[in-house]
Amino acid sequence: MADMVGILDVPKSRVTCDMLSQHIGKPVCFVGRVEKVHPTGKTFTVSDGEGKIATVELVCVLDEELSGVVEVIGMVTNKGAIMASTYNMLREDKGIPFDLELYAEALKVINEFPQYYPFEVAASG
Amino acid sequence: MWNQGGHSESMGGGYTQSPGGFASPALSQGGEKKGRTRATQIIPCTVSQMMCASQADEAFKVGDVEVSQVTILGIIRSTDKSMTNIQYKVDDMTSAPMDVKQWVDTEDPGVDSTVLPPGTYVKVSGNLRSFQNHRSIVAFSVRPVEDMNEITSHMLEVVQAHMALGKSQTMTGAGGGMSSGITPMSRPGNLGNTGSMGGSYAGATDMTNNGLSKNQNQVLSLIRGCPDPQGISIQDLKQRLNVMSLAVIKQAVEFLSNEGHIFSTIDEDHYKSTDNDD
Repeated sequence: MADMVGILDVPKSRVTCDMLSQHIGKPVCFVGRVEKVHPTGKTFTVSDGEGKIATVELVCVLDEELSGVVEVIGMVTNKGAIMASTYNMLREDKGIPFDLELYAEALKVINEFPQYYPFEVAASG
Repeated sequence: MWNQGGHSESMGGGYTQSPGGFASPALSQGGEKKGRTRATQIIPCTVSQMMCASQADEAFKVGDVEVSQVTILGIIRSTDKSMTNIQYKVDDMTSAPMDVKQWVDTEDPGVDSTVLPPGTYVKVSGNLRSFQNHRSIVAFSVRPVEDMNEITSHMLEVVQAHMALGKSQTMTGAGGGMSSGITPMSRPGNLGNTGSMGGSYAGATDMTNNGLSKNQNQVLSLIRGCPDPQGISIQDLKQRLNVMSLAVIKQAVEFLSNEGHIFSTIDEDHYKSTDNDD
């Protein structure tokens, strides 16, 4: 759990699959649709708004059935997978589907204008 | 939403007070220099911007943009309830989670004193505060998000707000440059070139001293040069500027009209300049 506390206190860049290779060893926030859950419950795949697939590896085994849109926070491994510290589902229970493609487009915008959407910690308290 | 910001007449500097809805940021219009006026806008921000904002007396600034009332959107990481207030830590991924304090109305225990659980995505509206170098938000509204697309829209609103307000506070005469011709998102290349999300600027290199693009200046000088009392028609402009498409001319005319450089005369197709140096 010390892992989780640490990662929550730093900036976690929002990324798509294409950006994972630029964030190896760094904390990221990945939003995608759950594709396949491995029978062991230790890993699952997710698709991003551009249709690409990433692998999420879990420290703790999944104790629930996972489906829908998930927001994963974790570190990117050397292989470009995400070692998840925590995740939460983005609810779609009010009948409003989450537009993953639009989200991916929005990520392009915030990456194009990092001066207006910074991911950083204050230099001084 | 933001699109109305192009008009040079005042839109009122207020914020919508509906606790549940989107707090539409209202642009304070070009002329109001921030000297003595307390900011009357509510501005979508990221936690990182709140943490890094510079502070002079009571006033905070994110870059060139003065911020006081803000909205952030993030996920609750922890909660702490006391008799008089609820404290949340809200994480929007841009930084460490932000402290959000919401006062509980002790007179009316039925109202809003339910603590939202960790893992809930919320939209927080409130005032940025700094106390002993510690930044926090005192919230007048903490609303659970039910449509997760608000995450996406908030990100875009943040970029648009800071871009538009940053420009309007550093450039005179050009307003926020946010005409109603908002460039759709699927052309990020366009955004990159101009650094503006509106269609108003043709490109940094085309900018002249008055803040108008080359096209706009061409249209304006033709309109200015027309001696007729009923002004010049859009059709005439098209004839004289045959390299410019009708759509571009109309866009320029709309922008110039919104900025107050021209006005329509006998009908919506005829325009005169507001400053006639004949």
